Amino acid sequence: MNSILGLISTGPKIVFPSISYKAIGPEIILIVGALVIMLISSLAPSLKRTKAIGAMAFAVTAIALIDSIVLWSNFVSHGASRAIASSIVLDGFAIFLMITISSAALLSVLAGEAYLSRSRIGRVEYHCLLLLSSAGAILLASAGDLIVVFLGLEILSIALYVMAAFEKRNQLSGEAGLKYFILGGFSSAIFLYGIALTYGATGTTNIQKIASFLATNTVTSNGVLLAGIALLIVGLGFKVAAVPFHLWTPDVYQGAPAAASGYMAAVAKAAGFAGLLRILITAFPTQRLDWQPIIWGLAALTLVVGAILAIVQSDIKRMLAYSSINHAGFVLLGVAAGTAGGVSGSLYYLIAYTFMVIGTFAIVNVFEDSDTGVVPIERLRGLARTNPALALFMAVLLVAQAGAPLTTGLLAKFSVIAATVKAHSYILAVIAMLSAVIATFFYLRVVAVMYSKVPQDKVSESPIDDEEVLVFASGGDGDLGSFDRPEGDLAVLAPAKVAVARSLRISTEAKIVVGISILFTVGFGIFPNPLVHMADLAKLLF
Amino acid sequence: MAPYLPIVIMLGLGMLFAAGSFIGSGLLAPKKPTNAKSAPYECGIVPQREPVARFPVRFYLIAMIFIIFDIEIIFLYPFAVVFHQLGSFGLSEMVVFAVVVFVSFVYLISNGALDWGPVKRYGIQEPYPQRTTTSTIRRVASGEEAA
Repeated sequence: MNSILGLISTGPKIVFPSISYKAIGPEIILIVGALVIMLISSLAPSLKRTKAIGAMAFAVTAIALIDSIVLWSNFVSHGASRAIASSIVLDGFAIFLMITISSAALLSVLAGEAYLSRSRIGRVEYHCLLLLSSAGAILLASAGDLIVVFLGLEILSIALYVMAAFEKRNQLSGEAGLKYFILGGFSSAIFLYGIALTYGATGTTNIQKIASFLATNTVTSNGVLLAGIALLIVGLGFKVAAVPFHLWTPDVYQGAPAAASGYMAAVAKAAGFAGLLRILITAFPTQRLDWQPIIWGLAALTLVVGAILAIVQSDIKRMLAYSSINHAGFVLLGVAAGTAGGVSGSLYYLIAYTFMVIGTFAIVNVFEDSDTGVVPIERLRGLARTNPALALFMAVLLVAQAGAPLTTGLLAKFSVIAATVKAHSYILAVIAMLSAVIATFFYLRVVAVMYSKVPQDKVSESPIDDEEVLVFASGGDGDLGSFDRPEGDLAVLAPAKVAVARSLRISTEAKIVVGISILFTVGFGIFPNPLVHMADLAKLLF
Repeated sequence: MAPYLPIVIMLGLGMLFAAGSFIGSGLLAPKKPTNAKSAPYECGIVPQREPVARFPVRFYLIAMIFIIFDIEIIFLYPFAVVFHQLGSFGLSEMVVFAVVVFVSFVYLISNGALDWGPVKRYGIQEPYPQRTTTSTIRRVASGEEAA
């Protein structure tokens, strides 16, 4: 007894790591911002339904973005560094992704404001969850330790599960949340087991120390290490929606509100790939011959399955979900190459995709049915006639995703395929280009629908005027299961009318989001040098 | 293998006991089911209507508040044990943690997690909807029919 008491009172001396709060600045800003918004809304409940909450969230993401840019300029002048007992790495890779994620959060706050002013539920909760999940994603991007990777992954995912189930009146949204939650929980457990096995084989969870251990030692029980790597790949493969771990994606993207789907597609992917790239390329360069064929196979499957299944979708949100799987395949090309060129190609692809996909989903949000959350492609028919500007912007964002010239999409696809060719995997490059051709078809199909004429009898001699359709389309009376009512039938018969009525109500926030996305996509497509230079600087610190 | 032997024996004993209980009660217990025996048990009273299907979800909110503070305690105990070694750094970190927990508590209270009692509705609710003005009980109570 005395010996135990003696141990407690004297104890071993605890050595603290020196904590650099500057290194985790963006995370602190986002988390404190979310807490402040929660506190203000609790103390002044009258603010809950006003745009002030959105403005505060916007300010928080803007400050986080500015802080990331300051970190970038520090990195450019002073080089990469480690912080907090090497569990945080501030290299170009991490800071580039910080900028990507905080700009995605900034755009998503605006897109979310456009969605929330229509849906009128949980404004505070939506913004707080968004800020917290961005903090998790940024933590993951700058993690130098497998445990910190896991922490970031969980902070990111738990908020995303709730955002997927956000439209609580809508069954599809509930289904999306539950599916994402259960499968996400499984994948997190698998990932954690991977960490445990890796720790068992190497004796450390620090990514840099794993690499130096494997470089200087020969692992006798190779099986444990290989199983660990495999489980880590499975866990992160789920997060980035690589085939065959993609099955949740279409249901979740369809059920979640379009604004949340856009955010998920951009940020969950960026963060997942951050983890995948850092773990595989920094921690296991010695095991390259083991993991490279697996990533090769995943990339090929993801490219082909994503492109082919997107063709047969009739709902635009499902189509974009499969297209996001196809994009994940392209980013996997950079991972499979495993070179510095592959990493910077992947990073360039991720930032380009972030802006394209958030802009696209912000436009889809305009057409979303408040009751069911579905957006049939047919609803966009004749959009070019009724709202030419919106149709043009949608078309630009879609062909950019297909990889059209003069957009960031082309350069993104080019850079990852070039890295693949340089790594001598020619077959994979051919598969990627073929899948890009297939993908072009389904993007152009939506463009064709928007620019096609509406059959005459459905437009001019319609007995209902715009106002009535507007009431139905916005679900004004809140009556679920309204398809047996006469107005429901009329609205189904006249989707173009719905488009006309809805297109008149594009909020300012949505316009800003689409404008920024277009400016980024086309601007850096025409003048690519600054962004390409940035992506080239964004190297992993070994 | 030797250190695990007690666990294996314990596992075997546990399974044996569970299986034995089931088999024993199946073999020895007399079986004479009647309607009254197989009806749902409600303190000896014959159930008149279905149990209330909806009950306030606030039970879960209370449970969640409990878990929030439970987790805070989990961190506070080990912190208290090594308080002196951690010094001012540990104290400030713990204060930050407590503030975060407290903000979530303020949020919960502001959203009505502790507002107990029945949900207030406008208008008078009929306690027994099956009893109408034509039913026996009401006729006796009203007095006009009796006169």
